[in-house]
Amino acid sequence: MTDHEDATSRALVRALAVMDSCYSGKLDIDTLCNEAHFSRYHFIRTFRSRLKETPHQYLMRKRMDKARELLATSGMSITDICFAVGFDSLGSFSSLFRRAVGWPPSVYRARSIAQRNFPRKYIPACCWIMFGFEN
Amino acid sequence: MTATISHINLFVRDQKKAFEVYVNKLGFTVNTDITMDNGMRWLTVSPPGHPDIEVLLTEPCSPMMKDEMVRHIRAVLEADAMPGGVWNTDDCEKAYEEMKKKGFEFLKKPTKEFYGIEALFRDGCGNWFSLTQRPPKE
Repeated sequence: MTDHEDATSRALVRALAVMDSCYSGKLDIDTLCNEAHFSRYHFIRTFRSRLKETPHQYLMRKRMDKARELLATSGMSITDICFAVGFDSLGSFSSLFRRAVGWPPSVYRARSIAQRNFPRKYIPACCWIMFGFEN
Repeated sequence: MTATISHINLFVRDQKKAFEVYVNKLGFTVNTDITMDNGMRWLTVSPPGHPDIEVLLTEPCSPMMKDEMVRHIRAVLEADAMPGGVWNTDDCEKAYEEMKKKGFEFLKKPTKEFYGIEALFRDGCGNWFSLTQRPPKE
């Protein structure tokens, strides 16, 4: 790896660290560019080339992952989850969630609870034994 | 008699990565996602428009099979050499370009074959697939 590539990797790691720790807040592209010491154009181009997704796509994915976790495991309301993962509009959150996961947040939550409470209803009996779920 | 496929197994190296690939990149719907008491995760996803088909994304492990078999299957997955199947597309060139942008590795660019236009890609989880555009029916 050349010195230039090495510096680029370090810059992207810094930007990723900011996104990973601050995804629930107001993050704009200029903040990330400053963190990476890149121009806006160079940052987006380099990010996409290395990570095969744009900074915006990466951020949305982080937010959706956290939303899935909270919907499945917490008692927080969907509105609170929407704000907790960095959205300020329930409508945008719901439609993006549906596009990303395939279900609206409320349906995803209901399915997660049902699956956790009644797993036998969702897993064929042969697999139940084969996967060692019996014990 | 009518019988259709409802569940099909796809071995993957890493379920978490497979979730990213199949749900976030390829647009599959999460069907069932349960982590059982023994730590195993039952994760099924459905291809877009086919909620009745569940693709079980599984890491090979015991007690599903013997340790020796697990080692063999893992070795094939580590080599990205597990044949996964065939995907149909109505535009192989377009799908190829879109998937390249999403970071999929192609073993074969869209190429005209006697059965249509075909490209081969790796899913990044240990499998390779054909992406085929069939010729219009006469």
